[in-house]
Amino acid sequence: MASKVLQRVNERLLEENPAEHQLFDIILITTDSWQQQQSFSIINSTRRHGLEVSRFCFSKEEDFIESLMQNNVQLFLTTDGNEALQATQQGVPSALLDKNSASCPSEQLRVLFCEDAIIQPHAGSTAASQKSAQSFLAQLGQIRQKFGMFNSPVCFTLVTSRGGKDSCCSTLKSLRALGVSVDEAYCLGGAPRGPILSLLRPHLLLSDGFGQLDG
Amino acid sequence: MNLNSSQTLTISGQDGVKNGSQHSWEDAKTILKPSTPSKKPPKPENSITIAVSSRVLFNMEKEQQIFEQQGMEEYIKYQVAHETEPFSPGPAFSFVKALEAVNTQLRDLYPESEELFDVVLITNNHAYVGLRLINTINHHQLFIERFCMTGGNSPIGYLKAYNTNLYLSSDPIKVHEALEEGIAAATMFTPEKMTEVSETQLRVAFDGDAVLFSDESEQIYKAHGLDKFFEHEKAHENKPLDHGPLKGFLEVLGKLQKKFYAKGQRMDCPIRTYLVTARSAASSGARALKTLRSWGLEIDEALFLAGAPKGPILEKIRPHIFFDDQMFHVEGAAEMGTVACHVPYGIAQRVPEGKGIKDKEISSIK
Repeated sequence: MASKVLQRVNERLLEENPAEHQLFDIILITTDSWQQQQSFSIINSTRRHGLEVSRFCFSKEEDFIESLMQNNVQLFLTTDGNEALQATQQGVPSALLDKNSASCPSEQLRVLFCEDAIIQPHAGSTAASQKSAQSFLAQLGQIRQKFGMFNSPVCFTLVTSRGGKDSCCSTLKSLRALGVSVDEAYCLGGAPRGPILSLLRPHLLLSDGFGQLDG
Repeated sequence: MNLNSSQTLTISGQDGVKNGSQHSWEDAKTILKPSTPSKKPPKPENSITIAVSSRVLFNMEKEQQIFEQQGMEEYIKYQVAHETEPFSPGPAFSFVKALEAVNTQLRDLYPESEELFDVVLITNNHAYVGLRLINTINHHQLFIERFCMTGGNSPIGYLKAYNTNLYLSSDPIKVHEALEEGIAAATMFTPEKMTEVSETQLRVAFDGDAVLFSDESEQIYKAHGLDKFFEHEKAHENKPLDHGPLKGFLEVLGKLQKKFYAKGQRMDCPIRTYLVTARSAASSGARALKTLRSWGLEIDEALFLAGAPKGPILEKIRPHIFFDDQMFHVEGAAEMGTVACHVPYGIAQRVPEGKGIKDKEISSIK
């Protein structure tokens, strides 16, 4: 589960620096009214699994983006592509959770940057959403820097599907300019993405909103 | 300089003149140079994928030393600091260039076809080193649009994901892993000096046993001795040998050759293949040839050395690449300037060097 692995990152961060304040803060949000009725059991369930969720947020479907903003959410994780798209359009950076992430190894948070979207990129990504995307990336980059090259609980991977080596190159440079040093890079040059993704097993897929780093 | 036969533009000093200025032959040639930017890499299922590691494509000896002596952090620092300095060519470089030359000629004859070589860079390096590698690829004008920088993870999964037809690396462990997964692979070594090779004709040389063929005959020799080997091979002359790890690669080369033959280019085909084996024409050679024929494969030249060293003949042939399962032959070839690769397959890997069929045959013939 993504939470477990985020917690692992937090633990490692604190190991490096017990005074560390740049930690992951996990908020669970749901718009499903049935789930909301089960709020007690959800809360208990997270406790039982040892997940440190700091806040629970139950909101109506039409308001969920407001809730995100009220809670100062910097990254919204969901398996629902539409939700992610909506949130991004409104300026909240979003990432898709791999539906199979439950089976992904939980010792290392694997973050995948795709230069073209799993969510379709839209022409009008606002300046605001780009800014929040960039600032979130910069923070991720900072977190990564706290660990060395080996044995890091966070791993960044770049996958570029369309475009050749030069577009991959410029994406690497843009990410570097934001302070994000990528560990692994795959330039597919048009080859299908499926086989690589199943090998990489990312927990988080960051695409739209991060897709236009050159601004 | 050859003019490609499919080009319709005629060149002569006079025709090039429109506005009164004289065009030289050199100017005309540059006008005709095909532009590269619009080329797209073929889809993996259609193409012949050749995966090369960074250390065989480029010369990274100095950096390798830094890694071994000073560790990873220093190595990465050095690479990043020298990011805009291109590496010089490694042993696989001329092979890759020759692959591109074949592609150019294939594109001219079959503009719509995706049956082309596709070279992929697969390296264990971290993406930090990636920019220097990309800069180097651009500097040398190589057409490599796909790569994997696995940041330390094993490349084997990616080899399979890209339908790799051949994997070349300087790391014998990875090569061995690839072979275990059924991918044709070989460990490439850098010769002290590299003899000049053709820029227009791709030449690939193969050893026979345990490379194109299985190692079953070598096993006979090791278990029962030379005489038994001869008897056995003669007796089974008409029984095809089982296939070896590089049979598939020879097969795809043959498919491309046929495309050239179909356009009338048999005599000067841009791909030429060689069998360089210590088998002897007098005794054990027939079975090798018959096996190839039974597979529907052709080899352009078969050289039966009856145990003679392979170095000199390879020096004459000048292949871009030579595959052998015995380090003794790989080293002998490299000493004379051939880019030789070791295929760590079969019984020869488990039995000490120098005890192969090859050396004994010489003494029996004398």
